[in-house]
Amino acid sequence: MGNITLGRYIPMDSPIHRCDPRGKIMAMLFVLIAVFFPVGWIGYGILFCLISFTIVLAKLKFNFIWRSMKPMLFMLCFLLVINILVVKTGTVLFTIGDFEIYSDAVLNTLYIAVRLLLMIMVTTCLTATTKPLEMTLGIEDLLKPFRKIGVPAHEIAMLISIALRFIPDLIEETQRIMKAQESRGVDMKEGKLKEKIMAILSLIVPLFVSAFQRAEDLANAMEARGYVPGEKRTRYKVLHMQMRDYILLGASFLTLVGMIVLSRVI
Amino acid sequence: MSISIQHLSYIYSPGTPYEHKALDDVNLQIEEGKMTAIIGHTGSGKSTLVQHLNGLLLPSEGKIHIFDREIIAKQKPKNLKSLRGEVGLVFQFPEYQLFEETVLKDVSFGPKNFNVDEETAISRAKEALALVGIGEEYYERSPLELSGGQKRRVAIAGILAMNPRVLVLDEPTAGLDPSGTRKMMELFKTLNKEHAKTILLVTHDMEQVYGYCDDVIVIKQGKISTQAKVSEFFDEGNEIEEMNILPPALLRMKKMLREVGFKLDEEAKDIQSLAKEIAKQVKKHG
Ligand SMILES: Nc1ncnc2c1ncn2[C@@H]1O[C@H](COP(=O)(O)OP(=O)(O)OP(=O)(O)O)[C@@H](O)[C@H]1O
Ligand SMILES: [Mg+2]
Repeated sequence: MGNITLGRYIPMDSPIHRCDPRGKIMAMLFVLIAVFFPVGWIGYGILFCLISFTIVLAKLKFNFIWRSMKPMLFMLCFLLVINILVVKTGTVLFTIGDFEIYSDAVLNTLYIAVRLLLMIMVTTCLTATTKPLEMTLGIEDLLKPFRKIGVPAHEIAMLISIALRFIPDLIEETQRIMKAQESRGVDMKEGKLKEKIMAILSLIVPLFVSAFQRAEDLANAMEARGYVPGEKRTRYKVLHMQMRDYILLGASFLTLVGMIVLSRVI
Repeated sequence: MSISIQHLSYIYSPGTPYEHKALDDVNLQIEEGKMTAIIGHTGSGKSTLVQHLNGLLLPSEGKIHIFDREIIAKQKPKNLKSLRGEVGLVFQFPEYQLFEETVLKDVSFGPKNFNVDEETAISRAKEALALVGIGEEYYERSPLELSGGQKRRVAIAGILAMNPRVLVLDEPTAGLDPSGTRKMMELFKTLNKEHAKTILLVTHDMEQVYGYCDDVIVIKQGKISTQAKVSEFFDEGNEIEEMNILPPALLRMKKMLREVGFKLDEEAKDIQSLAKEIAKQVKKHG
């Protein structure tokens, strides 16, 4: 639990950290879309190099990315098994008894694995370099144009920022309660079904109690400081797009266009 | 020696940018049957240390010897569950662990986890609740409806009902009112003296150290800076001031009295005997 790395902010100083969140969110969207185009191994190779370059620029460690990827490995293994059972095209790689394993089954899984890896790399580039607060400011600004058609941009941003703010707290709280119950002899990992149910109950109930308590405290604290949903608020931090933000946007947009072209050519 | 810790180090989130060495080469001997205080500034590693004693955290380096068990860094520990039955750990703000429908069920939850049969578990729960001063009228109430102080006592009863040999208490009186605090401390003293429980008490309150504990351990930035008998600990006045510890009010009072010329040779250990001493001298010089 303590080792959850996906979506965590890494406090550091790098060109990417200093970029405008709006630019980063848009750039991430461009590249994410690019990953969805079937661009073949060459395309993915290029994408991998470009994203890796960004990761280096952001001073992130590949180790960190790898650990975000780890939880997905189980899913990928599962996928591989299904693919092996279902996909019967391509050449036969090898046979186990009467069972033949086709090359496309392995290739398909590998394809998905690479896409997943690229997606995690891109999102990590955003989440690890952007403070939650900046992220919500960015989202709010990007949603502003949609306010005309009734999208409550500010409220959505506030919701997201509260949710982001509470994730680490809830993880910590979960660990705390788990430890407290383990001290009372609960075995969180093993046990019979009945014991498992008790173990989960002993975790969930206190977690809900404390989550509701926190929600109430926060609501009171916000009200006490005059927060009214929907009311106009001044902003403490104003975002400015700079040269590097335009470069980032341009580069990611070019990547998207390039990948679209490549997918047509192949 | 019932508990001995050798070269214990603990690192949070190793290998990440959040890596933090919370304990650094800790060596300790804790005697059985004693009441030992663990003090230190916030963030010094007290909670981290005590979580090693029942195997919630496992050492990054070093080893821990508890009764006839050993927990050694990088080795898979055996039988953690039975260790947890022998070392009862009460967390900071333990009231958050309550979850059952009724107080009685919640307190008997612990013993049941250690394969104690229903009847024994209930009777142990009732004993524990009686010890912490929760009356029968509360047995069938929901623990979530109790006041903060009552919740705290029920949570502590939940650990006591497991009948551990060692009781580790992480700031058990934080946030309680003065009379609640005093009752709680009296309870621990009773458990220590009459039920022969070894007690480790994490605290910020020097009055508790002075008034109730036998030994004291000072942690500073993950290292043990002092381990001493309480009776000697507060004598080394200057060293304590160096550590930024405010001595108990009684000692400060005595010191001030001496400075204005009172001759207090007798070891007045509580406020009543000090008052008598003062009265005697005032009369003499009347
Ligand atoms: N889960 C965790 N992950 C990372 N670091 C942690 C974690 N828990 C504690 N720490 C760090 O380890 C150090 C020691 O923490 P610990 O909780 O043991 O302190 P403490 O002495 O109990 O403090 P307090 O008196 O405030 O309870 C602190 O610097 C803290 O920031
Ligand atoms: Mg603590």
